[in-house]
Amino acid sequence: MSRTAFAALALLAVVSSPCLANSLVGAGPQSGIAKSRMSATTAGEWNKLSLREGKNVEVWTLDGDALNKVTFFGGVPAGAPLLRERDKKNRPLPTVAANMLVTDIPTLLETTYRSQFAVNQMTIDTQVPALLDGHNGIRFTYSFTKADDEVRRKGEAVGAMINGQLYLVSYEAPVIYFFDKDIEKFRALAASIKL
Amino acid sequence: MRGLMKTASWVRTAVLAATICVAMPTKAQEKTGSKEGFTLKPGTVRIVLMRPVIDVGAQSTGGMFEPNADWTTQAREYLTEALGEAQLKLGNVVVEYSDQATDDGPLVTQYSHLFSAVADSVIEYQFFPGNRLPTKKHSKSFDWGMGNGLSRLKSLDGADYALFITTHDEYGSTGRKVLQIFGALGGVAVTSGVHVGHAGLVDLKTGELVWLNADRQMGGDVRTPEGAHKRVTQLLEGFPGKPGDVAVAGN
Repeated sequence: MSRTAFAALALLAVVSSPCLANSLVGAGPQSGIAKSRMSATTAGEWNKLSLREGKNVEVWTLDGDALNKVTFFGGVPAGAPLLRERDKKNRPLPTVAANMLVTDIPTLLETTYRSQFAVNQMTIDTQVPALLDGHNGIRFTYSFTKADDEVRRKGEAVGAMINGQLYLVSYEAPVIYFFDKDIEKFRALAASIKL
Repeated sequence: MRGLMKTASWVRTAVLAATICVAMPTKAQEKTGSKEGFTLKPGTVRIVLMRPVIDVGAQSTGGMFEPNADWTTQAREYLTEALGEAQLKLGNVVVEYSDQATDDGPLVTQYSHLFSAVADSVIEYQFFPGNRLPTKKHSKSFDWGMGNGLSRLKSLDGADYALFITTHDEYGSTGRKVLQIFGALGGVAVTSGVHVGHAGLVDLKTGELVWLNADRQMGGDVRTPEGAHKRVTQLLEGFPGKPGDVAVAGN
């Protein structure tokens, strides 16, 4: 390897490292979301965070993940948790099962949050059948409060089980101001998803 | 020999790259920001000092926050006293928040928590330029807010701005300090203690955050009167309209 090539590699490491890695998602078609076959078309710009919450997870935001957060779960396989486990011994996370029903998806998210984020208040508020790019799935809404910041947040998500893998996209934001500000942008984004 | 020099050069390049990456966020961190063009003249507005959100506790060996009710009570007393003195010197009329027999209390508490989340997002995604959100890089403006819902609260009638204050302190336990020493010996950086402080001024008509002072490494031990005074001084440094201070516009 030449010196120049190595210098370029080192520079690339800097540029692509987490310290500088929040990237712009421009308007238009986006493919390979969450390192999966998931693609979508965005009407406006978003920020893709360097934050890696799991192997098959990608996070987008407009003002920061505490204020508006879109999470893509791209084909989480059977036996894997939704998020990377922080304390497997004391706070293990539930895992995806290949034979899960779509109605099990909200429960999976709730149980995951209670364990991972010290969520002391969480409710699944509504659940209705929905299609995710033509696949039978579920749309549900929920609300929760994390113990660390005590901000009441609402969430909305659409998910489906396809070939034993979980595809899910969720939007979460504080109840005050932020949820309503960007919910329509999320709905348009979720409606554009192709698998 | 030439191969050795080439290797040394690679190593230097790699070390430089790693240094840039590690050093950039901390070196370049900003601690204050305000809406572009925002200024406040002394004696022109009425500001409501919202009830501060104060949490004090210990940081366990594993880095978890363990609340301490006694420390929190002490800090609340000392910080309230220090704020009471400071609010008289801010250049404008500053009054403490009161429910005024409305049922606004729970919602106002939620706004205080939301302010903390917004302020922390500003630290994370604005004050660290290397971590700035690409959509917010397009302009140099300071564009943060909480919506105009505060303007509908009866308990804030007649006020122009709300001043929100948050402090969150975690004092490193003995175990944490020991871990820090062993970490240093092994070349691993372990932090002991967290001292977060936010002071922010919100325009009550628009909900815009027009000025913010925020840091995750604040000074002053809030469990003592002197420390609380130091913390309040640091929180209100550069407060808009304060005699002797000039607000820095547009970060």
